[in-house]
Amino acid sequence: MSEAPTETSSAAGGSVSVFAQYDRDIDEEVDVVVVGSGPAGAVVSKELAELGKSVLLIEEGPPFVPEEFEIDGGLSMARTMREGGLRATSGTTMPTMQAIALGGGSLVNSAICNRTPDFVLERWCADYELSRTTLPDLEPHYDAVGKFLGISPTPENVQGARNLLFRDGCEALGYTSEPISRNVRGCRGSGECFTGCRTRAKQSMDISYVPAAIRAGARVLTSVRIEEIVADRRRVSAVVGRVVAPFTGKPSYQVRIRAKIVVLAAGCMATPVLLQKSGNLANRSGQVGENLQFHPGVAIMGIFPDPVNPQFGATQGYQSRQFLEDGFKLETLWAPPAITAVRLPGSGQALKDRLADIPYSAIWDAIASCNRSLGRVKAKRGTLNPTLSWHLHPKDIPILSQSLWVLAEIFFAAGARTIIPGIHGVPPEMHTLGEAEVLRTRSLKATDFVLGGNHAFCTTRMHGDPRRGVVNEMGRCHDLENLFIADTGIFPQCPSVNPMWTAMALAHREAHHIAEHL
Amino acid sequence: MILGLLGVGALGYAVIRVAFGYPESRYQSLTRADAALVASAAEAMYPAGGAIPSSGTDADLPAYLDRFLVASVARIRILVHLLLFLVEHATLFFPAPGWNGRSRFSALSADQRVAVLDGWSESSLFVRRLVFTTLRALLTLGYFAHPPVLRALKLAPFAIDSPVVEADLLYPRIGEHPDSIRLTRADLTPPGEVTPLRLDGPIRADFSGSNE
Ligand SMILES: Cc1cc2nc3c(=O)[nH]c(=O)nc-3n(C[C@H](O)[C@H](O)[C@H](O)COP(=O)(O)OP(=O)(O)OC[C@H]3O[C@@H](n4cnc5c(N)ncnc54)[C@H](O)[C@@H]3O)c2cc1C
Ligand code: SF4
Repeated sequence: MSEAPTETSSAAGGSVSVFAQYDRDIDEEVDVVVVGSGPAGAVVSKELAELGKSVLLIEEGPPFVPEEFEIDGGLSMARTMREGGLRATSGTTMPTMQAIALGGGSLVNSAICNRTPDFVLERWCADYELSRTTLPDLEPHYDAVGKFLGISPTPENVQGARNLLFRDGCEALGYTSEPISRNVRGCRGSGECFTGCRTRAKQSMDISYVPAAIRAGARVLTSVRIEEIVADRRRVSAVVGRVVAPFTGKPSYQVRIRAKIVVLAAGCMATPVLLQKSGNLANRSGQVGENLQFHPGVAIMGIFPDPVNPQFGATQGYQSRQFLEDGFKLETLWAPPAITAVRLPGSGQALKDRLADIPYSAIWDAIASCNRSLGRVKAKRGTLNPTLSWHLHPKDIPILSQSLWVLAEIFFAAGARTIIPGIHGVPPEMHTLGEAEVLRTRSLKATDFVLGGNHAFCTTRMHGDPRRGVVNEMGRCHDLENLFIADTGIFPQCPSVNPMWTAMALAHREAHHIAEHL
Repeated sequence: MILGLLGVGALGYAVIRVAFGYPESRYQSLTRADAALVASAAEAMYPAGGAIPSSGTDADLPAYLDRFLVASVARIRILVHLLLFLVEHATLFFPAPGWNGRSRFSALSADQRVAVLDGWSESSLFVRRLVFTTLRALLTLGYFAHPPVLRALKLAPFAIDSPVVEADLLYPRIGEHPDSIRLTRADLTPPGEVTPLRLDGPIRADFSGSNE
């Protein structure tokens, strides 16, 4: 492979290769190969490179520069998301997005950073036979990541009205709320996190951890898709795959990377598929691809009497953790106007009239901890895209109904004149809290909700007992001594808060553990 | 004999219904039938007038959907074609009001099309609602990609000059060789005070309407 003598290489020997540079098959040997450059893989790569290991980070997607960001929500999804952003579960139908880009989900996410609460980690330890995953165990790793990324609360001057109205509503009701901490430096409040941060404020992995890994000597191959992990009975020896063209995925040159350690960080959907396609690897427990959990999300749009000008403000600037122990977390939300508009009911002139209300609107959402609602990721023939099934458990439905009710309360307390809950089986618009009562009194079915599930976990879960989990709490596969997994698939249960910071903290710990044993 | 004649008749009707009477298509991915369906659904979903003057027709939604499909992977293209086919011909099973209610969706009057769409959106069958939501999502994405719509709502994107960061020295534009990167360390934007965007600040040139 030719490597251009440009500034894509660092003094320490690190480099990044892009699709246009590949002109032959690749066959190399390194200490550690990391598959996937999302939050987990990027952290592992940088830490190990800084600890002096030879690291190769492989990413199927391309790097995006600001000129490549599509402001149009549809085209943006077609370019940055797997299956064009139209991936969904069967069973209970729910869209779920996974990015395909250098930086993985961090390129398109809202940069929300939360530490998993104490009570959740204690439950993880108790129920999954873990002994070193309490909050005090993870604090140093959270801190290290937080410091590197500049994680801090969203300042008031970029909140914008749609975030501050949420605060006002919570205050009026006596609910706690706080500015969201984010991995952002110098946010200008464009509300464009979903389509890529043009101000370069968001510290997505492609502009933070990956350049740092390169500086420390890591090499990065983008537009390379790993298709198989080569292993004998106890050890993995290599990963193999192909160079693939951006967007079309058209395969060309063969890639084979031999490594002492393989770290899979391809994401909660892709990692189990890779293992299944590699001869059902690391699966003596039978848990690979099982236990799929989400934080199913619901949202309400509220219309206010005065303009809210929702185009200004941090994409997600305020949250309430008041109801975490009841099973849900509340946050403000913004997305490209087209995606916001998709949830408005009706068609024809009635729909257009509702669109005209968008400048007066805010959208607030709830993400729910639905630990009883489980699913499965299964490989299918001829593709690495998974078959996803997932069922919203009837006992988890009241959590969603309750969260919608609390959102309605906050909207009316903040002065909304109308709310649009966007669910089937209740009136499309409600004008008083009394009308909104149906949200908690009506018995709703799974198919009544318009759900979204962008936080996904548990498909290669950690468990102290090798018969019941795929990896131990350091991310090492129980079955193979040099195969590690770092993505959110290793969470034993949903974390009840946005997962990225926890994924990075666990990856940070995992990298240091690997370095000690290499 | 009678059954045979009926069978041939049904086949003939199916062929005529599916393949004939559509205008030529000028698109890369949309078929003639797809384009007719999208144009007629767009007109019903987003009629002219009201607070946002532009209609679905002004927004040229077939051209948008064609661009979307060209940018999409094969599986999505197939699913979208199937969806459009389904909506066009499902009037056989879920007809519009009126004597010709079982005609192709694209051959119905505007009022009939709105009635059909409302039927899908309010159906007690989850699958029908899902089909409607997906169709509306595709049309809405296209409608909002039409700059006058965002301008009318005062939601056009801000003009932003992206600062130069270390990553810009590492990655070329997608498909290009790193030799195309002209920036050097001297071009890096020095750290400084960052000011929030202003609601009355400039909007992105391609949304400003100056070249329309
Ligand atoms: C729209 C959206 C908004 C979100 N907002 C937030 C938020 O604000 N805060 C938060 O905490 N979480 C958020 N999340 C979730 C968060 O982004 C993910 O949980 C996180 O990115 C998971 O990190 P990961 O490293 O496990 O996997 P990913 O980020 O999915 O990274 C996996 C990477 O592996 C690559 N890959 C996959 N297969 C292969 C292969 N075979 N070969 C090579 N490379 C491969 C992928 O292309 C991808 O880049 C959001 C998610 C979405 C989609
Ligand atoms: S709100 Fe805008 S400026 Fe702030 S981090 Fe998100 S995309 Fe960047």
